[in-house]
Amino acid sequence: MIVSGPVRRPPLAVVLVAVSMLALGETAGAAMSQLRPQVQRYAAARIAANAPAHGFSGSAEYDDEVRDRAIFTAEAGLSFFHLHAEGVGLILFFASTLVACAVPWRRERVVLYLLLTLGGLFPLGYLAYGAAVLEVGRDAGIEVAERWILTPLGISAIAGLLGLLLSAARPRA
Amino acid sequence: MSEALPPTWRVPPWWVLLVGVLAIVCAELGGASMVRFKVELTRWARGAMLARPAVHGLVGVRDVDERILDEALVKFDAGLRLFHMHAEGMGLVIIATTMVAATVARSAAVRRSIIALLTTGGAGYPVGYLVWSALIPSYGLERAKTIAEWLVWIPFGSATIVGLWWLAGLVALRMARA
Repeated sequence: MIVSGPVRRPPLAVVLVAVSMLALGETAGAAMSQLRPQVQRYAAARIAANAPAHGFSGSAEYDDEVRDRAIFTAEAGLSFFHLHAEGVGLILFFASTLVACAVPWRRERVVLYLLLTLGGLFPLGYLAYGAAVLEVGRDAGIEVAERWILTPLGISAIAGLLGLLLSAARPRA
Repeated sequence: MSEALPPTWRVPPWWVLLVGVLAIVCAELGGASMVRFKVELTRWARGAMLARPAVHGLVGVRDVDERILDEALVKFDAGLRLFHMHAEGMGLVIIATTMVAATVARSAAVRRSIIALLTTGGAGYPVGYLVWSALIPSYGLERAKTIAEWLVWIPFGSATIVGLWWLAGLVALRMARA
């Protein structure tokens, strides 16, 4: 029979990011459902305030379509945030626990915690995605969020998970 | 001099783990049932809606009624899918977050309260999607949603949100004191 010893836990800072991400994800889900009209009104107001960035032409039909697409994209950002925050919060929790248990080298553990925790902030990129779409226009907003937030944080998460995989596979003395 | 012991996780009470695993099992069964009984479920929902034309605003004109029925059936199916997805996720959330609560909460009362909020909220919330789906044929889209919201989503969702923010605050407090 295999009996496990106590399971090591990651530092509290890592745990805090994981739990906060789950809490933010839950709250965003509730906001999406209960505050939908307010979110849509806010989005429409921000689009109106940044009209040049959205390329309004003055034709009501065209402008309405542009506004609807921008609001839809901003709402999609909130929805992606809800979904990713729940998933990434759990990934950070379980992956960092695996790091605590399976990586015996302190320096490597610290690097992996850092990479995974940065990766754990990845869902915030979708909040920025939604906000950037409203402020600088749909295509430019998506470009900004993807290039400057989602890609670096996503790479950090992937690097942390690959590092964990390599560390766990490395033979021990 | 001996090295300080590394910090370890504490396991939450067994019934909490059971609830978490049960939520995942129900989600898997729900997913499998959606595929296996798709035709039967759709037939039942359609029959129940046709039996209550006034509730769904059916007017007896095929073109109009089919569009209304299709929309309701899409929502009926969406409710089942969302139950599957949320129950899987919340099962894991229960296990992970109650483990954090069992480890960081020093006061037994606080620990018990957070664990109770996270477990009941996490297990109850996904059931709202089942309730929503089940009520759509009898009560219509909007009324079914309102009932599910007030009976399940708002109370259980709020419990989870309160439990999670309380837990986040507790972890932050422990970090500040460490």
